[in-house]
Amino acid sequence: MLRGPEARLRLITVLLIAAVLPVIWELVRLQVLDRERYQTKVEELVVRPYALAAPPVGTIRDRNHDLLVGNIPIYSVGAEIGLITDTTMASDELAPLLGMDPAVLEQMLGDEEWPYVWRRLADGIRGEAAETVKDLKQTKWNWLTLEPTWERFYPEGELAAHALGFTNKDGNGYGIEASQYHLLQPRPASALGEVDVLRVPLSEELAKGKLRAFPGSDLTLTLDRTVQAFVEGELEKAMVEYGASGGTIIVMNPKTGAILASASYPDYNPSLFSHYDASEQRRFVDPAVSVVYEPGSVFKVLTIAAAIDSGSITRDWSYMDNGLIEYGGVTVYNFDRSSRGHQNLQGVVDHSLNVGVATLATQFIGPETFADYILRFGFGRPTNVGLFGEAAGLVHLPTDLAWADSFLVTNPFGQGIAVTPMQMATALASLANHGTMMKPRLVVERVTPEGEVVPVPPKVVDQTVSAETADFVVGLMEHAVNNTIVQAQVPGYRVAGKTGTAQIPIAGGYDPVDVITSFVGFGPLPDPEVLILVKIDRPQVERNLRWGTQTAAPVFSTVAERLFVLLGIPPTEPVDL
Amino acid sequence: MSVQWQQSTHGVQRRRQQVNRMTVITFAAITVLAAGLALSYLALVASSAHLTGDIWKLHNEMADIQRESSRIQTEIARLSSIPVLQERSVKLGYQPAGSIEYLQSEVGVP
Repeated sequence: MLRGPEARLRLITVLLIAAVLPVIWELVRLQVLDRERYQTKVEELVVRPYALAAPPVGTIRDRNHDLLVGNIPIYSVGAEIGLITDTTMASDELAPLLGMDPAVLEQMLGDEEWPYVWRRLADGIRGEAAETVKDLKQTKWNWLTLEPTWERFYPEGELAAHALGFTNKDGNGYGIEASQYHLLQPRPASALGEVDVLRVPLSEELAKGKLRAFPGSDLTLTLDRTVQAFVEGELEKAMVEYGASGGTIIVMNPKTGAILASASYPDYNPSLFSHYDASEQRRFVDPAVSVVYEPGSVFKVLTIAAAIDSGSITRDWSYMDNGLIEYGGVTVYNFDRSSRGHQNLQGVVDHSLNVGVATLATQFIGPETFADYILRFGFGRPTNVGLFGEAAGLVHLPTDLAWADSFLVTNPFGQGIAVTPMQMATALASLANHGTMMKPRLVVERVTPEGEVVPVPPKVVDQTVSAETADFVVGLMEHAVNNTIVQAQVPGYRVAGKTGTAQIPIAGGYDPVDVITSFVGFGPLPDPEVLILVKIDRPQVERNLRWGTQTAAPVFSTVAERLFVLLGIPPTEPVDL
Repeated sequence: MSVQWQQSTHGVQRRRQQVNRMTVITFAAITVLAAGLALSYLALVASSAHLTGDIWKLHNEMADIQRESSRIQTEIARLSSIPVLQERSVKLGYQPAGSIEYLQSEVGVP
């Protein structure tokens, strides 16, 4: 029996505490003991992946900031099947927009055998069709869903296809798209976190700042779309005129290594890369950097430069040309099997004498020094121009197990050595640039997603030969253009260059019929701003016209004449109009 | 009964009684303040949730604008691309240039 108010008060207090204790215990159980179990349950209920809309891949522009590769938004269209009221009307109206058969669409929308909650209807919907579907969703059919994504777009079509290239969804591909994939790709923002019923992240989630989507970096290239278009047009004309199987034209600024144009045939449409079947996919390989060839006589000027620069000969060197030279078990003749008698270096270049350069290499330069200069000129390694799949080429060094003395007699005139057009252009550009070899480059600058502009400055690779040697050899080349390779002349401009007509190696020897003709020239002298390499594969013209002089040199002249004007380079010589 | 209880119930110590009233008022004030804070917190959470929705909506709008911007950029590029310009030029009656020359005026000649 409780007596008095104080005792009752104590009893009430005890009862209250007794009542509160289970509550406290329950709190401890929920918050401490069973915390993990309940946290897991909550996560199962509210933690879902969520993402910001996918940012675009970086754009690629030419040096004048004209768009070469951009992005267009495309949509995947779906439907929440359970919310559709009139499938016939919907399918009739939607089918043409989605490019589908109305009957098929109606079946998809009203499929009762498989009660889809949501169903994907079509992918790749773009342009006006996408806008109309959006309007339909907003005005009358809220069961429509549109999932945006991006597709690469090449506004210039096939222009610079090899240089630009493409990538598939895995990042494999060709051209600058593949080589700069890591820069161009965006960083999409997705996370696993607490979301509401509409998959909108809760405020705590957003406050964590986990989501920041970044588009890919934008690239500005050295290419000039006008120059590229003109060069591609001239290459196509040459392919038709000479019935050639392929060809390449590279336009480079020898002072900076900037590639203004790189055109190769056959080419392809990069926006339709997935439409080419397996047999046609060889078109994707860029002949300018990924396919090697024996350069032929263009190489002679490099041999002469090596001979002078190494001190093996002096500039007034001369020899008696008997029309052939035997060395290492191989007999080398001049291209026309003629003997030219007493010849100096100018004669060797003017008449493109195989015997002359073979004599230089075998009797004066020697294998080690010759190999040293081959490497100095950048052969045997990729130029790192920034394109995917660049080949290193094939050079023979005296230290190789497979070395044979015959290489020393054939390599000096560009046979038995395999190079890429880009390597050849870069090597000759070093002569045009007074002996300084610049790294060929395609990217001028990149713009980061944060807007920071990161320039890619010109880079000196090496001083291949002294300025005096380079200028002397350029003088020999200019003389040759003025006297024997007159097809390469450009009215009003001093230019220098060298032709090449090379045999094509096949299994067991050389192709007895077909050749690769080429011309590498530059101008205007004395400080060239443009170097142009023209290479024509297997021209199918009369056999006595299958020479670099008759095929590649005229193309050089046409291209150079127009480019000097397009690039605003004034004439160096008076012209009679 | 304890002395304190007697004092409280029989009004022996008015002064002590007044102190207890102050305690009650203080307790009530704290309670009201806590309730106010709780309400403010709730209001803040509600507002935050609302803002989250707005932010998310803005994210989506921004993405929409970015898509539209990109679409317009590519359309401009397509319309000013070399093949399209050539086609339009031909339609306008222009002819491809044959030979072009770089003309220079002599020094001193305007």
